[in-house]
Amino acid sequence: MRVVMAEDDPLLREGVALLLGAEGLDVVAKAGNAEEALDAIDTHKPDVAILDVRMPPTHTDEGIRAAVEARRRHPGLAVLVLSAYVEQSFATELLSGGVNGLGYLLKERVGRVEEFLDALHRVAAGGTAIDPEVVAQLFTRSHQDTRLDRLSPRERDVLTLMAEGLGNSAIAERLVVTDGAVHKHIRNIFAKLDLSPTDQVDRRVAAVLQYLEESRRAR
Amino acid sequence: MTDAPAISKSKSTSTSTPPSVPPSPPRATVRETVVRTVKAAGAAIAQLAGGFATALLALGVLALLAATALTAPIGVGLLLAPLSLRALHALAGRERARLDRVGPEVIAPEPPPTRLRLALTDATTRRELRWAARHASLGLLLGFLGVLLPLSAVRDSTFPLWWQLLPKGGTSTSIGIGSAHSWLDALAVLPLGVGWIAIILGLSPAMARLQAEPGRRLLAAGPDIDLSLRVAELTATRAAALDAHATELRRIERSLHDGTQNRLVTVTVLLGAARRQVARDPDAADELLERAQSAAEHALAELRSVSRSILPPVLDDRGLAGALSGLAAECAVPCRTDVDVPQRCAASVEATAYFVVAEALTNIAKHSGATRATVTVRARGGRLQLLVEDDGRGGADEDGGSGLTGIRRRIAALDGTLRVTSPKGGPTRLEAELPCG
Repeated sequence: MRVVMAEDDPLLREGVALLLGAEGLDVVAKAGNAEEALDAIDTHKPDVAILDVRMPPTHTDEGIRAAVEARRRHPGLAVLVLSAYVEQSFATELLSGGVNGLGYLLKERVGRVEEFLDALHRVAAGGTAIDPEVVAQLFTRSHQDTRLDRLSPRERDVLTLMAEGLGNSAIAERLVVTDGAVHKHIRNIFAKLDLSPTDQVDRRVAAVLQYLEESRRAR
Repeated sequence: MTDAPAISKSKSTSTSTPPSVPPSPPRATVRETVVRTVKAAGAAIAQLAGGFATALLALGVLALLAATALTAPIGVGLLLAPLSLRALHALAGRERARLDRVGPEVIAPEPPPTRLRLALTDATTRRELRWAARHASLGLLLGFLGVLLPLSAVRDSTFPLWWQLLPKGGTSTSIGIGSAHSWLDALAVLPLGVGWIAIILGLSPAMARLQAEPGRRLLAAGPDIDLSLRVAELTATRAAALDAHATELRRIERSLHDGTQNRLVTVTVLLGAARRQVARDPDAADELLERAQSAAEHALAELRSVSRSILPPVLDDRGLAGALSGLAAECAVPCRTDVDVPQRCAASVEATAYFVVAEALTNIAKHSGATRATVTVRARGGRLQLLVEDDGRGGADEDGGSGLTGIRRRIAALDGTLRVTSPKGGPTRLEAELPCG
């Protein structure tokens, strides 16, 4: 898998590149700011671009804007955005154009190599990877929605993992239950939240995120 | 800002000043009345004497102004004009401070403009001139009486005790009419002294009020001077302070997120990579652990520098001068400090000054090859001026990772200015100016 990486901190950039290299990924270009990243993406047409959110010159949301721009130039490009902290508006802006092939993770998740590689592969394959923190924030902000209260604790866990972009078997593995149990939970969740049932992961993610987002706004 | 606490200055009510004598109880005893009257008279005399001193100065300033006006046609006056205007403003300021001490506060108007043409038509300057004229005439006379009356009172009321010691013919009353040749004559002077005392007790508070009146009226901000201007100015200053504060917080947030946090993320990334390598290639894993450790040490160093940059503890302990001489002592290049800052500045300003000098000295030690450095700090007109010089090879470059960018950013956050001159071959001069806040 060919990767373009943009991160302004040289030590961290080298660290992540080192890790990816050791895991057999091909880091074809490393960039220190958004403009370099866009150039590298144009040149190398990678399978996935990993972008830091805060980069020079303003250190605010360069990475998000670069991600949106890169996907405008190259529809279907997989982009994984790494952020120092979860900012709901970043997530909303990033995911507003669809969740296929998109990831939004906290930087420190990279250290959990196995899960990080999972997420990276999922995104590169057109799936989704949303940081649990994003989902948790959506949950806490929409806690006044009574329909969420109808969910059992286990169903909440499943909903969170679904929103993060995990498929049924991955959820089953995380929660150490059978695929069948997960399937049952998901049917219940969709019923309780009035969502139309679907098996496609990206549509599920979109549905869940949309639901959480709406219930947050409706408050 | 001329005098920051002007508006909210509180004043303790003193029983000794005439304007603020507490309301008399319904039936004051004779003793209380006497004590109060004597105290009031004493305070009034002291006030009159103080006013006498500023009245003499006012006379001097008026003479200077007259000389300026007279010599203006031949050019000398034009050179004298700024000096005499400054003298007038300084004296007016001194009188305001004096009146503040003895009564209700005199709210100062905007400081007058310093440019000659503007100053001549400035309302404040004109009011100060009118005050000077009155104070140097009526105020001087009242002040003179205020000094003379007590002397005469003492002299005449004690006259019978010592009149015989005087040479014949020189024994007159204090007003110079009549001379004493016998005990009877001498005793006759006594009522005169008692009269003086009565005048002092009865009239001196009114005289003190009369003497202070022009100052209270003319030196305060006039009705034509809109205080809303001052309010607007204070609001703007406060907004700027809040703004600087926000910028400072943003700087701290940024150095935490983009510096320290990135170091820690690097640590977790390297640890994660090492864990994956342990089974496959222990040597490679060990190398990764080594890098992770050094990244963690980096994180600690950055955390230290961030927290120091917020407010170096040494500033609280030893003040700016002490903190800077501490920096100079630690510097690898021999460094002399010369700090003359009479008052403490705002904490954020001192912290920035400290940071700037620390960074500059680090640069000098690392890059300049200098054999000596000097740090000069002055407070002038509400601004803190920093000058860091060395005799090194110069050529300091903002893009060379020399920390100059950081210095510039921190100074800009406080609305200060920075000038660096560093020609190839040296020497390097770093000049910074910060509002004291």
